[in-house]
Amino acid sequence: MTKTDILEKLGTMLEADQINTDPEDLYDASADRYKKYAKAKKVLDNPIPAAIVYPKDTEEVKELLMFCNENGINVIPRSGKTSTEGGLENWKELALVIDGKNLNKIINIDTYNMQATVQSGVALQHLEDELRKIGYTTGHSPQSKPVAQYGGLVATRSIGQFSTLYGGIEDMVVGLECVFPDGHVCRIKNVPRRAAGPDIRHIAIGNEGTLCYITEVTVKIFKYFPENNLFYGYLVKDVATGIKVLREVFVNGYRPSVARVYSEEDARQHFYHFHEGKCVLIFMAEGAKPIADACGKGIEEAVEKFSDGIIKKVDSALIEDWFNHLNWSQKDIDDEVQEMINNDRHSGYTTEISASWELIPQIYDNVINRIRKEFKQADDLVMLGGHSSHSYLNGTNMYFVYQYNINCEPEDEFRMYHHPLQTIIVEETLKLGGSMCHHHGVGKYRNQWIKEEHGSAYYMLEKLKETFDPNKVMNFGSIFYEEEGAKFQK
Amino acid sequence: MKKCLIFLEKEYEKFCVDLLKTAEEIYGDAYESCALSFDADTEPAEGRFDELITVTDERVQTYDVSVLSGIIGELHQEQQFDSILILATHFGRMLAPSLAMELGTGLVADITKIGHHKDQIEMIRPAFSGKILAGIINTRDNAVMMSVRPGVFLYEDVKEKDTRIWEYSPKEVRSPKIEHVSRREKPKSRDIRESEVLVSGGGGILDDFDMLDGLAERLGGMKSASRRVVDSGKADRSIQVGQSGKIVHPRLYMAIGICGVLQHIAGLNRVEHLIAVNTNKNAPICSLADIVVEGDARTFVEKMIKRIDSGN
Amino acid sequence: MKIVCLLKFTPDVDAFEYDYENNVLIRENIKQIINLDDACALGYALNLKKKHPEIEIEVVTMGPLSVKGLMEDVLRRRVDRGTILSDPVFAGSDTLATSLILGEYLKRTEYDVILTGTQTLDGDTAHVPSQLAGYLGIGQMSAIMKIDEASFLEGAPLVEVDTENHTDTYKIAFPAILSVRRESRYRLPFVRYADLEMDVSDRLHIIDNSVLQVDENIIGTHGSATKVVKTYMQTYERKDRVVVQNDDEGIETVYNFLKENGYLK
Repeated sequence: MTKTDILEKLGTMLEADQINTDPEDLYDASADRYKKYAKAKKVLDNPIPAAIVYPKDTEEVKELLMFCNENGINVIPRSGKTSTEGGLENWKELALVIDGKNLNKIINIDTYNMQATVQSGVALQHLEDELRKIGYTTGHSPQSKPVAQYGGLVATRSIGQFSTLYGGIEDMVVGLECVFPDGHVCRIKNVPRRAAGPDIRHIAIGNEGTLCYITEVTVKIFKYFPENNLFYGYLVKDVATGIKVLREVFVNGYRPSVARVYSEEDARQHFYHFHEGKCVLIFMAEGAKPIADACGKGIEEAVEKFSDGIIKKVDSALIEDWFNHLNWSQKDIDDEVQEMINNDRHSGYTTEISASWELIPQIYDNVINRIRKEFKQADDLVMLGGHSSHSYLNGTNMYFVYQYNINCEPEDEFRMYHHPLQTIIVEETLKLGGSMCHHHGVGKYRNQWIKEEHGSAYYMLEKLKETFDPNKVMNFGSIFYEEEGAKFQK
Repeated sequence: MKKCLIFLEKEYEKFCVDLLKTAEEIYGDAYESCALSFDADTEPAEGRFDELITVTDERVQTYDVSVLSGIIGELHQEQQFDSILILATHFGRMLAPSLAMELGTGLVADITKIGHHKDQIEMIRPAFSGKILAGIINTRDNAVMMSVRPGVFLYEDVKEKDTRIWEYSPKEVRSPKIEHVSRREKPKSRDIRESEVLVSGGGGILDDFDMLDGLAERLGGMKSASRRVVDSGKADRSIQVGQSGKIVHPRLYMAIGICGVLQHIAGLNRVEHLIAVNTNKNAPICSLADIVVEGDARTFVEKMIKRIDSGN
Repeated sequence: MKIVCLLKFTPDVDAFEYDYENNVLIRENIKQIINLDDACALGYALNLKKKHPEIEIEVVTMGPLSVKGLMEDVLRRRVDRGTILSDPVFAGSDTLATSLILGEYLKRTEYDVILTGTQTLDGDTAHVPSQLAGYLGIGQMSAIMKIDEASFLEGAPLVEVDTENHTDTYKIAFPAILSVRRESRYRLPFVRYADLEMDVSDRLHIIDNSVLQVDENIIGTHGSATKVVKTYMQTYERKDRVVVQNDDEGIETVYNFLKENGYLK
């Protein structure tokens, strides 16, 4: 099978406007934001997919998957295209990108049963806008909200900025429809809860396109009370103090929608106008008024308990104002590309991990110390820090953030900077027993540690792949390590 | 009597005459000033110098510093100047070192002040991007050489002189090593990255963005814009400051109606002075400012232009 | 064709911090970098070599032996030869003495053309290229923004120079010293990832004054023709933010600020 054969066959399956072979679009589809610099500089050497196709219903998705499965063509499922971990990168000579942009219908909004059903190409912002009009919210708000679409959000186990109240996407999905490479279509029904064997939703949620293609999702919706929002901001002594306050709030049962602590360095770039060189702790309480108020009180009490480590309170108007300008849009993504082309620099990278309350401060210190000590390009770092932004009863996440002056050729950039930094973060996290991926997914550059991540439980993951995608046509290289792909990593 | 030679450069004659002020700071009144001209307009020097030496030999290729160094070296053999001052223009910055090598004497560049160290001339110049000043002496028993940037010294207290003008005929003229091929005017439109002063507008002056031209012009600077203004179509992307625009390093940045999101601040690289005009004195950009003007951008610009025009 | 690139390793002057309490400039622990103008000169040479691999490039620098690591990184950019002129008697040389030392080495070296920067970040005098040309008796041009490639390959390049108000084009036959400015934007390629650890010791040469035999009485701290006798600190005030209103008093504050800092001519 050649690219020409693929295109010929696609021509019999789809309308012409559903097949994209524009060279620029195909180049763009050969990698994602993991290699954003090389991509912007037009030096990517990944194989170019044969085409990007836009199926308009589940039946077409099924036919496409079966065609690829029978002919050994790599399938890269995509929707929204905000992937940062190599999940959308292509490692195969023959590949087809199946983009969900035509699966863009909101099927049903059911405010009595508090759920909404959408096709996988529906943009999160689109559903959110529709819900807001009637006083509801999805409760899901990653920074990529204006761009991200439901297929991608579910496939990568996405999380939003208000997760501490509403949960991650896995807490919101009540049911879904997905298609396996052999053409089998599964519909998981929408029920409040059930005890009918293992929760099979989780085979699709977070599969990163390596097992199936998600075509439809039903999520919970929530009542929205923005008028009750309360904002809190504090300058704190160090990250550890901030983490202690976060813990105090959560173990006492409060559920603020936002609870974050920023390291000094990270605070500088988010709150340069008030951080005063200190760590920053912020909260937002929302919901029905008595709940929001009680939560606000719980926050104040927790802060009071650790007042030794609190330097000062920040005007809450500053925090509120900051929140209102937080999301980025396609324009911001495009701006960064311009920045890379014009100025040879970008906004940096992030790596997100999670661990228990006890371990997080240790991992943070170990990572920072090790980077300072052994990262060869440490001189080029202009920013290295992080923040905790998603907390749970038993622990929290750490979002490591780093920026650097790019002193290398674009082809070498990820090998010189992002990858070695990410390696240190992953290794230090796994060493102490945390998880190397909190919410970006594994992609293709953390698959090297997937066995360590899961330990003896990797058995279950491996069997899923063997069972559902025996021909390895689904997003080759994502999640599961492949020797053949190592040349793209090293 | 000490003898000081000042090189008179074509097109910069008035600035060269200003070097008489430098000479005065070295010697007071007790010295003899000589101007040397190859192809300059000598009129500004007449009545200012004690002597004006002209070289109009047709064999001399006046844009080749090695040719001029040879001739000045020969003249120095005869005249034994105590000091030689050269204006630090593009040409002067090549002529001075070339001549210093010819004479085997020390040279100090871009001096800003004259001092006295024991009984020697102390030439003071900025070092490390102006972060410190260094006082330097010449250790050779030879002409003391220095270059001075235009406009650093101003010769205001003019003393009328009866200038003796004479022609010097060089014995030997070197053949030129470079050939001038063509000249063109530099394009007027400049790059905001090269401007020392930027008057930058944001959302707060969106509707009157063009007003900033008047202020920029009066400050000898350029107008720049935030992304908001560029996106609205009121300004070209080429003058956008920030992450997706240009990274600028003016001495003075006036942020007029710009709130200063991080993406904008990313475009500011080591700005010396920042003035922020904003209705909200807590806007992020105000935290970086030397002066925050709390108020309407348009009103500020109007008042400021008026104030500058009224002078003093 | 053989190109000699003259390079200086300078402290990253812009990174100096000012210690307000003690009123001193903190010069310690500042990273050494390739002088920006010089980097453009080498960038031009390397990019030309990429198209014409037969071109030979030698990089010459004068400095302490501590620049060896930086020179190795230069060689890892596929430079053919690197020469460090290093001797304790060279230390403290002013521009004239530096030119004599460099000149003495270059007299013994074959080259068609010398490429270098116009001025350095730390010294900022732009003396050396012109002094060196005087010593070697060859042509020289500073502030070059563009070197025409075709004529360069023929040995008599056309160069564009930005002066105060004009752009001039000159033709300079080899041998010559061409000094470019950083604004030329000739980009110095980085060391490739695969070459980061490349052994370049066989291409690195260190030469001291036992070879060059420059008269020690005319170089170094004691022999130079100029000598720093005093340094003065520029005194800086830490910034205090002033908030004014948009009234006459406020406008006056801004006006005076502009005037005091020389923005009003």
